[in-house]
Order: sequence, then C-alpha cells, then structure tokens
Amino acid sequence: MDNFFIEGSKQTPEISFNAELGELEIKGRSIPENTFDFFNPVLLWLEEYAKSPAKKTIVKVNLEYFNTSSSKYILEILKRVKNVMNDGHDVLVEWYYEEDDEEMMETGEDYEDVSGLPFSLISVEED
Amino acid sequence: MNVYAKFRTMMDNHIILSFKGEITSEIITMVLQIMETRLEAEEAKSSVKKKVFNILVECMQNLYHHSEPEKLGELKTRKAMLEMYISDGYYNIITGNYIKNKEVEKLQTRLDKVNSLSKDELRQFYREILDNNQISSKGGANLGMIDMARKSGEKLDYHFTKIDDNISFFDFRVKILSKKKVAEKSA
Repeated sequence: MDNFFIEGSKQTPEISFNAELGELEIKGRSIPENTFDFFNPVLLWLEEYAKSPAKKTIVKVNLEYFNTSSSKYILEILKRVKNVMNDGHDVLVEWYYEEDDEEMMETGEDYEDVSGLPFSLISVEED
Repeated sequence: MNVYAKFRTMMDNHIILSFKGEITSEIITMVLQIMETRLEAEEAKSSVKKKVFNILVECMQNLYHHSEPEKLGELKTRKAMLEMYISDGYYNIITGNYIKNKEVEKLQTRLDKVNSLSKDELRQFYREILDNNQISSKGGANLGMIDMARKSGEKLDYHFTKIDDNISFFDFRVKILSKKKVAEKSA
C-alpha cells in the first residue's frame, strides 16, 4: 500500500506514515480551525492500513502544540491502531515531549490511559 | 480622549494585544504568528510560553466557532473582542462575544463545573470527555474549557450580560502566571 505524507505547516503537523515499516509519525503542531478536513484522510488511510499492517507498528507522536479539537482526532488515530493490536499485532506508541513540558507529558499519560495502548513517554531536549 | 491619553492607558495597562472585529481564519493565523514572536522575546520560560500560546489558540477558536451576530441573521455584525495584557505577574486573556440566550445555561453549567474541580478531578474529567466519542457540529471537542483550566491552574472568570430576548454577551477571562511572579515567589 502507498505511504502517506503531508508536509507540516504553521497550523498543521507533518504526517509521515510508512506502511511497510509500520512507522507512523505525527510531528510539529496541530492547531487548525477545521480539524475534520485535515484528519479525515489520515483516518481513512489508517483504516486501510489496519487490514494488512506491518509486523510491528510504531506510532510516534511528537507534537509541540495541539488544540482541543485535534485531541479527539489524535485519539481516533490511536483507536485505529488499537484495532491493529486487537488483531494480534505488535504496537507501541512513542510519545515525545520537551523535557520541561510537564503538560505534554501528562497528556501522554492521559492518552495512555484512555487508549489502552502500550506507551513509551520520551523526553527530548529543547531546540 | 486624545490619542496620547489613549496610548498612555494602553501602555500603563500593559496591553500586548487588543482586537475587535470578526475573527476569521486569517486573523487567527496572523495574531498567533505575532504573539509567538512576542512571547519568544519576552518569556524565557518555554513552559509558560506554551501555556499562553495554547490558551490563546483555544480562546480564538472559541470566538471563531461560537460568536453569534449581534443582530439575528446579520452575519456582518458577528463581532468579537480579544485582549491580552500583563497584570500583577499574570498574563491575562479576555474575550467577549455574543451568544444565543438558549446556549447560556449549558455554557454556564460547564464553566461552573470546571471551576468546582480540583487539579486531579479536572484531569479525570478531561479523560472522560476525551473518551466519549462526540465531536460537535462546529468541530468542538467539548474540551476547551477543561483544557484551559488545567493549563492556567486558575479559576475561569466569566460573566453574561443579557442584551435582548435572543442574545447575550459573554465575557471570559483566563490568566496564566508568568515566570516573573514564579521567581518572586521562590525568592
């Protein structure tokens, strides 16, 4: 299946999904006013991916900012990945946050709790 | 008031940003760009900068999605206001917009609930709302007020002014402790 790539912008994250390697990365910021338009194609791709996923799927969430209307879609992404796990495949979410960004770390814990996926919270140094 | 007096007032009140008009997508982009540069220059602590920026995004998107026209059906009267200033070591963000009277109760209930919760309870409430699948027709996740309360760590201040049988004016204030105050406190 085709890989999926959207370049990042001031309002929207870079999305880089590699079906063969099972690497799904979201990075940058996600603060668009109209989140549905942005995220719907992402969710559709994931539904296809879930039909024949890689042996191991790693989701890398590396976001500096996201608005609350993006937060539901981030959970929707994770729910589709949860289906991959429920079908018996290996899945890991790597949640990145800048070392002094306590909120982003806590948000990672919130998503870990709500999604029921295995998480690894990774602190990175600021630029 | 002459221009100098007006200018002085703005200076003395440490007004960083003051806007009145229709909140469009272009305005949001522009204001965020300006404020990001500004915060970058003034606020050394990146965690404070992020909180302020995040809350500003939520406030502007609330205005974008939920402002009603002053006069029913007259979209060109869909005006709102946004102001940001520094006072007593806090960044203050205030917004004002018209809202339908029939929406007031729901919003007030949500604000009162958010204000009644402790830090841990807010977190639990956030998880609950995140997990229930609803996304409103306006794209809202119903998480905005909870998220702002969590990030600010302060109570959300609001007031409704009834204008007529259809419309009320909603004013909203949220504040974020800046690094300067933190430094004073620990000294």
